[in-house]
Amino acid sequence: MKDTIVQGLQQAYLNLFHMISEFLPRLVVMLVIILSGLLVAYALRYVVRAILRLSKLDRLSEEAGASRVLRMAALPSMTEVLSRSIFWITLLGFVLIGISILNIAGLQEQISRLLRLLPEIVVAILILFLGLVIANFLSRAALLAAVNAGYASPNLASWSIRFGIWILAIAMALDELGVARQTVIAAFSIVFGAFMLGLAIAFGLGGQGLARSFLERSLGEKKDDKTDELQPL
Amino acid sequence: MAGENALGADFTLADDILLGDDFLRQLMSVGEVDLLVAVPTYNNAGTVEQTIRAIEDSYQQNFVRDRVVILNVDGGSTDHTAEAILNMNGKKAGVHRGITSLRTVHRVTTQYGRSPSQGTALRTILAAADLLRAKSCAIVSPATTTLDPSWVANLLRPAYRQDFAFVAPLYTRSKFQGLLARNLLYPMSRAVFGMRIRELYADEWGFSERLATECLNQNVWGHEAVRARPEAWMAITAICSGMKCCQSFLGPKAPPPPGTGPDIIEAIRQTVGNLFWCFETFQEHWMDRNGSQAVPTFGPEHDLTPEDKPSSQEKTFDLFRSGVRGLDSVLSAILTPDTHTQLRDIAAQDPAHFHFDSGLWVRTLYEFAAAYHRAVIARDHILQALVPLYRGHLYSFLLEHGESSSEEIEGDSEALCLEFERQKPYLIERWKAKN
Repeated sequence: MKDTIVQGLQQAYLNLFHMISEFLPRLVVMLVIILSGLLVAYALRYVVRAILRLSKLDRLSEEAGASRVLRMAALPSMTEVLSRSIFWITLLGFVLIGISILNIAGLQEQISRLLRLLPEIVVAILILFLGLVIANFLSRAALLAAVNAGYASPNLASWSIRFGIWILAIAMALDELGVARQTVIAAFSIVFGAFMLGLAIAFGLGGQGLARSFLERSLGEKKDDKTDELQPL
Repeated sequence: MAGENALGADFTLADDILLGDDFLRQLMSVGEVDLLVAVPTYNNAGTVEQTIRAIEDSYQQNFVRDRVVILNVDGGSTDHTAEAILNMNGKKAGVHRGITSLRTVHRVTTQYGRSPSQGTALRTILAAADLLRAKSCAIVSPATTTLDPSWVANLLRPAYRQDFAFVAPLYTRSKFQGLLARNLLYPMSRAVFGMRIRELYADEWGFSERLATECLNQNVWGHEAVRARPEAWMAITAICSGMKCCQSFLGPKAPPPPGTGPDIIEAIRQTVGNLFWCFETFQEHWMDRNGSQAVPTFGPEHDLTPEDKPSSQEKTFDLFRSGVRGLDSVLSAILTPDTHTQLRDIAAQDPAHFHFDSGLWVRTLYEFAAAYHRAVIARDHILQALVPLYRGHLYSFLLEHGESSSEEIEGDSEALCLEFERQKPYLIERWKAKN
């Protein structure tokens, strides 16, 4: 009885020792990988930030209205957001690789799935962000054109544009993630008609001057609808 | 890549592209000239003949001994404008007055593109003027039906006989003509750049050889602001380079027929966009300037003729009111909360007693200029957002000055100019602000 207990304890001790002797080098490898990842992530953040500053992305972002969206969400500048995102994505990638080295049963598969999904998540976020920026820009253009032309419901055109582009961006992001693909396609098909109508209204309002001058040039006759306004120059 | 042409003048690759073979051949056959008058055209076959006659008459009456050329730069007319110019009988005008020029009055025409662009037209003119070593140049519009030979002489003389680099025109205007210039472009440009040039955005102006060369060598021709309205940029280049500017009175300027000129939206996009762009481009030149100084003026400085009060402008007020309401989110990105609130308050006023205070107008414009500089939203959107506010100020002006005399209007304009000058530190403060 006593021998059995001692043997059991010895076995447990040996197993523990074996596990620790197997686990510790992996833990060290994981820490080395994470540390390397940290260095690589820092370097990448520095390089990306320098490139984006050189390319004057912040100015473009201001002009497109993206910076305003970021400020509303209490986020820093576009350059900072992108360089920090690169940092965290890189670090997360290295951490996941590091954890996978530990060979913990069950975790391996989850990590591989997450790693496979990571680029798709990044692309989906990017699609949503671009959609937000484009929606802001085009809806504002439509609003200005409608207000200056004296249309009765300028916000209708503006919101049609905004809504249409949001729907498109969300559908594209979900499709990228592979979430409820059939439902997304069906929903998108339904709203697509409405979206195109909104777009047609926006471009119609925004480009009416161009269209009018084109028609005037083509048909050779002028139709003046602003004779009530004084010549400004 | 530089070469040497028959005239002994260097020309760069850019000039080579601007000046096509045929155009270059025409210019080389003219040789060096003293005076050049350019006529940018686009489907002006109906009026261009009258313009060319006025220029030729001016040459024959005022510059008999000088080497002269008339240059037509066309933006792709489909009505044979260039042919109309070339097929004109050149001697007719001078002969019937018993005057004969001692020199040939050359006519050169070229097409710079398939669609009109004032910037490209000017660049072509400057390249030609540089090549021909023209000492004094003038640009006149074929759309100006009141063009007189004296106009051409008045634009050419200050740069030719005196040492002026830029010659701005002055016109006889009716009371309610050119109100964008009176209420915005002139007072704002005067306060910022410190020079009292009334007509920065005009169809006619003159310039010297030195200014032409200076402008030609600038790397700005791709900018939309210069492509659309290059004339003010040219004047501001002269001011900021320390060159002498003057104004020359021309005479009555007939307004373009209704529907032919740019509408208010397009006019603001072109002129105010150009002005704000010039603020940014020349910012190191105006930050330290205070007040303004008069420029030498040949002839009367202003001449306002009476005009009946325009018919009901209630639609203008409605567009202002609906603009302030509809563009709330856009204006909040451009204006300070205080200014935005004041605009909301006046938009709620009774139209019959509406008043747009000049202090508020100036502050609004300075905040727009600073917002354009910081590009808080797309720059073109900033300019479009100004349209309803301008309509509000225009309505207030018409309400106040419907029955005013010319002197009263001039007095009011001067007070507005001084308000712009007084508030200039506020522009600098907003310009340098981070948010």
